[in-house]
Amino acid sequence: MSASQSAVRSRAEAVKVSRTFDWMITFTLFFVILGGYHVHFMLTGGDWDFWTDWKDRRLWVTVLPIVGITFPAAVQSILWYRYRLPFGAILAVLGLLFGEWVNRYLNFWGWTYFPVNFVFPSNFMPGAIVLDVILMLSNSMVLTAVLGGLAYGLLFYPGNWPIIAPLHVPVEYNGMMMTLADLQGYHYVRTGTPEYIRMVEKGTLRTFGKDVAPVSAFFSGFVSIIIYFLWHFFGRWFGSTAFVKAA
Amino acid sequence: MKILKDKVTKLSFVALLMAVTAAMVYTPTASAHGEKSQAAFMRMRTIHWFDLNWSKEVLAVNDTMTISGKFHVFAGWPETVDKPDISFLNIGIPGPVFIRAGSWIGGQLVPRSVSLELGETYEFKVLLKARRPGDWHVHTMMNVKGGGPIIGPGKWVTVTGSMSSFTNPITTLTGETIDLETYNLSNVYFWHAFWYALGLAWLAYWARKPMFIPRLIAVESGKADSLITPTDKKVALAFGVGAIAIVAMSMSTTNQRYPVTTPLQAGLLRGMKPIEMPATTIAVKVDDATYRVPGRAMQMTLTVTNNGDSAVRLGEFNTAGVRFLDSKVAEDTTGYPDDLLAEEGLTVSDNSPLAPGQTRTIQVTASDAAWEVYRLADLIYDPDSRFAGLLFFYDEAGNRQMVMVDSSLIPTFT
Ligand SMILES: [Cu+2]
Repeated sequence: MSASQSAVRSRAEAVKVSRTFDWMITFTLFFVILGGYHVHFMLTGGDWDFWTDWKDRRLWVTVLPIVGITFPAAVQSILWYRYRLPFGAILAVLGLLFGEWVNRYLNFWGWTYFPVNFVFPSNFMPGAIVLDVILMLSNSMVLTAVLGGLAYGLLFYPGNWPIIAPLHVPVEYNGMMMTLADLQGYHYVRTGTPEYIRMVEKGTLRTFGKDVAPVSAFFSGFVSIIIYFLWHFFGRWFGSTAFVKAA
Repeated sequence: MKILKDKVTKLSFVALLMAVTAAMVYTPTASAHGEKSQAAFMRMRTIHWFDLNWSKEVLAVNDTMTISGKFHVFAGWPETVDKPDISFLNIGIPGPVFIRAGSWIGGQLVPRSVSLELGETYEFKVLLKARRPGDWHVHTMMNVKGGGPIIGPGKWVTVTGSMSSFTNPITTLTGETIDLETYNLSNVYFWHAFWYALGLAWLAYWARKPMFIPRLIAVESGKADSLITPTDKKVALAFGVGAIAIVAMSMSTTNQRYPVTTPLQAGLLRGMKPIEMPATTIAVKVDDATYRVPGRAMQMTLTVTNNGDSAVRLGEFNTAGVRFLDSKVAEDTTGYPDDLLAEEGLTVSDNSPLAPGQTRTIQVTASDAAWEVYRLADLIYDPDSRFAGLLFFYDEAGNRQMVMVDSSLIPTFT
C-alpha cells in the first residue's frame, strides 16, 4: 500500500474506520493516562491517599488537589484544543480511580489484607466534572485555570466528606480519645509506615481555629490554579505532533 | 490501513501493560524478615530487648496473645543513627495478620510516637488479636525516626481458623457498636460507584457522536465552534451545577447523620516511665574482646568486681536478642525462640561464686551458630565496629543484676 492511495474506498467505510479509531484511541488513551497519572500520583500523593488515618483537614486537603490537578489539566489541553472534546479531566480521573481501585483491591486487600475501608482512594470526580464543564462553557484556558482550579481545590474536601466522615466518629480506647480512622491505623499493623511519618494536623494555620479545612481548601485551590497553568503547557508540549517525511 | 490498525492494537497492549504494571508495583511492605539483613551494630547498640515472653505459640482467629518484656535504650547509641527522640513501638509481622489491640510502655498506652531516653530501661507489652491463619514470625520492633526500624527477636506463632470469622467490634463515644473490619465499607463503595458512574455517563454522552478524526478535521478547518451545540451546553450546565449540588447536599446530610466528629489525633507522647533499676553493685571492665571467625565465638576478658553483699555468678550474655547462657547458673523457662537461645553457649573460665569485695579477671566465651545465622559476625565489617550487650549476674537467692558492656571488637581469622 502506497501512501498516496486512500485507505478507504467509500464514505461509509470512512465513517466505520473513523469510529473504530474512536474506540481504539479512547481505550489506549485511558490506559496510557492511567499509567502515567497513577505513577505520578503515588509518588506525590502517596500515603495521604493510601490510609484513612492520613486524611486530615490540613495536609491531605492541601496536597492532594495540587498533585491531582496535573494530568486533568494536561489531558484537557490536548482533547479540548485539538478535538473540542470536553472530557479531558474526567477521563484522567476515571483512569486514576480505576488504577487505584485495582491497586487497593488486589494489592492492599488481596495481597496484604488491609481492609478496604482503611485503604480506599480519595474521590476527585466532583472537581474533574466542574473543570470540564467550565472549559467547555468558557472555551478559555485562563478562566478554567482560575475558576476551575479554585473549584478543584474547594470541592475536594466536601466531595470526600460523605465517604470519610463516619471514620471521624470518636472512640475512647484504653483511656485515650481517637477517631475510628486513627484506630484503623493503630490496629492494622503497618511495619513500614510508623506512626511518626504520618503528616497529619501539622502546619501553621492554627490561628483559624476550628475552620481548618476551608482555609486549607482555599489555599489548595490557589496553588491548583498555578499548577493548572503549568500542566496545561506540559500537555500542549507533549501533545504536539511533528510530521516526518515519508521515505 | 491494516498496518495502522495493527500498530494501534500493539500500542494498546503496551499501554495496558504499562497501566497494569503501574497499578501492581506498589504493595505495602509485608515482610518482617529484615532482622538478619539489618546492620549488626544497629541491633547490638541501640535497643536491647530482654525478658521477652510470647504468651502463646498457637491461637485461633479472634483470640489474643501478648508479647511482653523490657527493653534497654543503649546509652552509647551510635552516632550514625538518630537518637530515639521520636520512636514508635511497632510489631514486626507480615502485614495485619494480627491487629494491634493495644501497646503499652511503662503502663502508658502508646498508639502514637513516643520519646525515649538513652540509658533507660522500659517495660512494654503489646496485645495482639489474631486475624489471619498461618505461621507468622512475630518480632518485637521499634521504629526510630531517622534511624529506621529496629527489629527485635522473633518467634513463630501459629494462627488457626478462618479469617472470614474475624471481627473487630468497637464502641464509639456516640454509643454505637460497629465492626471496624467492615464498617463504612458499603458507604465507600456507594459513593465511589456513584461518582464513577457520573464520569462514565459524561464520557458516554460524548462518545455517542464521532470523536477524534472528524473533530480534528473540523477544528483544523476552523469550524471548532460548530462542534458544541446549544443542547450540549445546556447538558453541561446541568451536569456541572448538578455535581456541585450533589456535593453540597451529600455534605449536609452527612453532617446531620454524623453530628459528632473529631479531627485525627496526632502528636508525640512524652514522659514514658522507665523502670527504676536497682543500683548495680557489680563493676565490669572489658579488658579486651575478640571475635574468632572460624570458631564462631566471641571471647571477652572481663575484670569483675563485686561491691554487693552476696556472692554472684555470671549467667547470661545477651546481645541483639541472642542469649548465651551458662546452664549451670541460668536456664530459660519462657520458651524463648530456639534459634536465638544458646543454652550452653556461655563458657566462663572461672564461674565459681564471686564473693563480696572480691575482684576477678575471667575469660568469657560466647559461642553459637547464631553469630553466623543472625549475621552478628558482620559487625566486624560495620562502620562502628563495637559491640554491646547485657550481662546478667545471679546470686545464691536467684536475684539478678544487669550490667551493660560496651567495647570494641577485634576479629581474628585463624
Ligand atoms: Cu522474622
